[in-house]
Amino acid sequence: MVLQRPSRVYFSVMAVLPSFVLFLLLVIPAFAKEPITFEEISEQAARAVAQDRSNDAIRLFRAGLKLHPGWAEGWWSLGTLFYDQDRFSDAAAAFRRFLPLTPKRGPAYAFLALCEYETRDLDQSLRHFRAWASSGWPGTRETIDVAVFHFALLLTREGKFVEALYLLTPEVVKMGNTPALTEAMGLASLRMRNLPEDCPPERREMVWLAGQAAAYAEHFPPDYARADEYADRLLVHYDTQPEVHFFRGTLFNFEKKNSAEAEREFRKELGISPDHVPAMLELAAIDLGDDNLEEASTLAKRAIQVDPQNAEAHHIMGRVWLAKDQPEPAAAELETAKRLAPTSSNVRSHLAIAYGKLGRVQEAKAEAALAISLKKKEDVPTTPQEKLKLATEPEQR
Amino acid sequence: MIGLPQQRKTLCRRMSLLVKMAFLVLTMLATSEAGHATTPQSFQQLSAAADRARERSRDDDAIQLYRQALALRPESAECLWYLGLLLYAKNQFFPARDALRTFVALRPETGAAWAFLGLSEFQVREYARALDHLRRAMATGMGDDEDLKQSVFYSVSILLSRLEQYDDSIGMLGAIVNTKQCDDVIIEADGLAGLRMPLLPSEIPQDRNELVRLAGKGVCAAQQGRVDDALKSFTTMRDSFPKEPGVHFLVGSFLMNTRPEEGIAEMKRELEISASHVPARNRLAEQYTKSGQYEDALKSAREAEKLEPKNFSVNITLGEALLAKGDTAEGIKELETARERAPENTRIRWDLARAYTAIGRTEDAKREKQELERLQQQNNFTDAKQE
Repeated sequence: MVLQRPSRVYFSVMAVLPSFVLFLLLVIPAFAKEPITFEEISEQAARAVAQDRSNDAIRLFRAGLKLHPGWAEGWWSLGTLFYDQDRFSDAAAAFRRFLPLTPKRGPAYAFLALCEYETRDLDQSLRHFRAWASSGWPGTRETIDVAVFHFALLLTREGKFVEALYLLTPEVVKMGNTPALTEAMGLASLRMRNLPEDCPPERREMVWLAGQAAAYAEHFPPDYARADEYADRLLVHYDTQPEVHFFRGTLFNFEKKNSAEAEREFRKELGISPDHVPAMLELAAIDLGDDNLEEASTLAKRAIQVDPQNAEAHHIMGRVWLAKDQPEPAAAELETAKRLAPTSSNVRSHLAIAYGKLGRVQEAKAEAALAISLKKKEDVPTTPQEKLKLATEPEQR
Repeated sequence: MIGLPQQRKTLCRRMSLLVKMAFLVLTMLATSEAGHATTPQSFQQLSAAADRARERSRDDDAIQLYRQALALRPESAECLWYLGLLLYAKNQFFPARDALRTFVALRPETGAAWAFLGLSEFQVREYARALDHLRRAMATGMGDDEDLKQSVFYSVSILLSRLEQYDDSIGMLGAIVNTKQCDDVIIEADGLAGLRMPLLPSEIPQDRNELVRLAGKGVCAAQQGRVDDALKSFTTMRDSFPKEPGVHFLVGSFLMNTRPEEGIAEMKRELEISASHVPARNRLAEQYTKSGQYEDALKSAREAEKLEPKNFSVNITLGEALLAKGDTAEGIKELETARERAPENTRIRWDLARAYTAIGRTEDAKREKQELERLQQQNNFTDAKQE
């Protein structure tokens, strides 16, 4: 093909070029512009970065790293340069090389996790976001915002919807209802284990409406009127879809409105999704509050049957036994709840009551003391990230 | 018909496109490759074999050979380009995206590459990035391939709606229908933008298909100046879907210039359905200002401001109402806030130039006029490039 001809000529020239270049380098060293020593290379690489010559910088860092593979700063710079060019696979490789070379791994975990998100290595990405969180959520404001957003998306995919919303809320307060945040809020609010990129197209409007409603409810101050407007639109078109009524009920509870409205929505959700554990638990808590112990007991038992590892289900069951003045089964349920949620002050305080009723005074005292200490920690004003730390670390779950 | 390549075009068409695109970049590549240190024969052999395979339509072989060549020379722009295009043509959008990303990092001046990158990102549903890169393709220029340009324009317009930039979307679609029929594809896109639904055509719920179609027919007819057809579609839409959010706003916007009383009534009806509808309040305020009802204008604009305090369009409306009412100082303050939020907006510059002139701030007025001219020239240049 004629179009290829110039290229072929060029390749032929290139075949003899190395010998010619070598000749020049040997005969006239002053003509050699490429840096030779590591120091020269690193200096020129830094200059290329400062002058925004990314491709030159990449070439120079690569050359420097060939000479000194243990050059931590080189790997870091190479990673960030690739990241800025959206070359996430190359960036991830550089950050992986950087990590063992540095004691300060925090920001690199965030960048590596972001790269892995982009290359769809999602489990690894979540693991590295958790490592980033464990190292204190370090980074610039911009890095933290981007990392928190993607961390939240992966928590949603993992089914950790409350934790995801916890992370997204401060971003909404800061940035408002951006399209990306709205979508992320919608997915978590509707308890959909999807990333935005794989949300089924037919559910897009539903996600957007729920996201708008959730986001306006999280504004500071909250804009409940607008939240209700979107939630009502959601109901108009998606009345029969799973999760919609649970979301509406949660929003009613959030707005501290008449719980009868919330209760009605939770019951509707159970009508659509008979195995909906969070709806069962919301209703069981309402029944418990209203002293409808049999109904509360039925719902809590059913919730345990569907999801035996749900701490709140065991907690409510324990509270039902306590309300029925049966401390022995209450203690058994609450001990299970404690095992599943060791940092819950409410579980500890109810367990203390159960032990007290059983005459196990020392254990009751110990649990009560722990409940107080945990409650104090819960009440200390802290960033959502710090509060989330325990919730998002896998070993704590 | 305009559409996404994956959905609309045959493989033959794509392959023809590949050849055309190859022509666009080959001259540039021929010189750029010379800057690299030479590599063993094997790279040369592999890339030549890949070229031969590609020319003989043995795409799978070509892809494999380009990959092998790139393993030896990862930043060979020529190999990246052909690999990206071949993968795109085979609907392998993730690897196509990755190859094209590396290519544009090396050759950012190649508009067609930004276009294919953006289209690949569109396919893997990275919509925000797709929009950025498709816009970059438009700004850089994409050669003379009309199909590629139309695909890019169409994709940008539907992405703008998806990302809630409805007015920009309508603007883009308006430019497309200047030279085209209102076909189903355009009608869908116009309908979504007109109703302010943040969805792609593939995401339209089944029970809203007819609503979107009627809205789109109306918008498209209006864009082509077929006023009677537009009114007919809008009336049918309003009568069939009187309670759907966005319907009365769309009808009201259409009527506002020719039948302002009816336009106002439609906007009010919209606010009964969508209490927090900011554009409806803004449009009402504009109309009230036009008809000298300044207190009503200010009330409506203030309500809009309360709902969206950082919306520059609301600052403009408020500023214009205050100026018209004679409260020049406050009006200028609002417009200056708007300018801070949207420095590239020509309407703000025009308003400010007039307001400064009115109170004798001639230097400020001069500066705004200069800026207005610069922005207009810039817009003309961009338009010309996109043409």
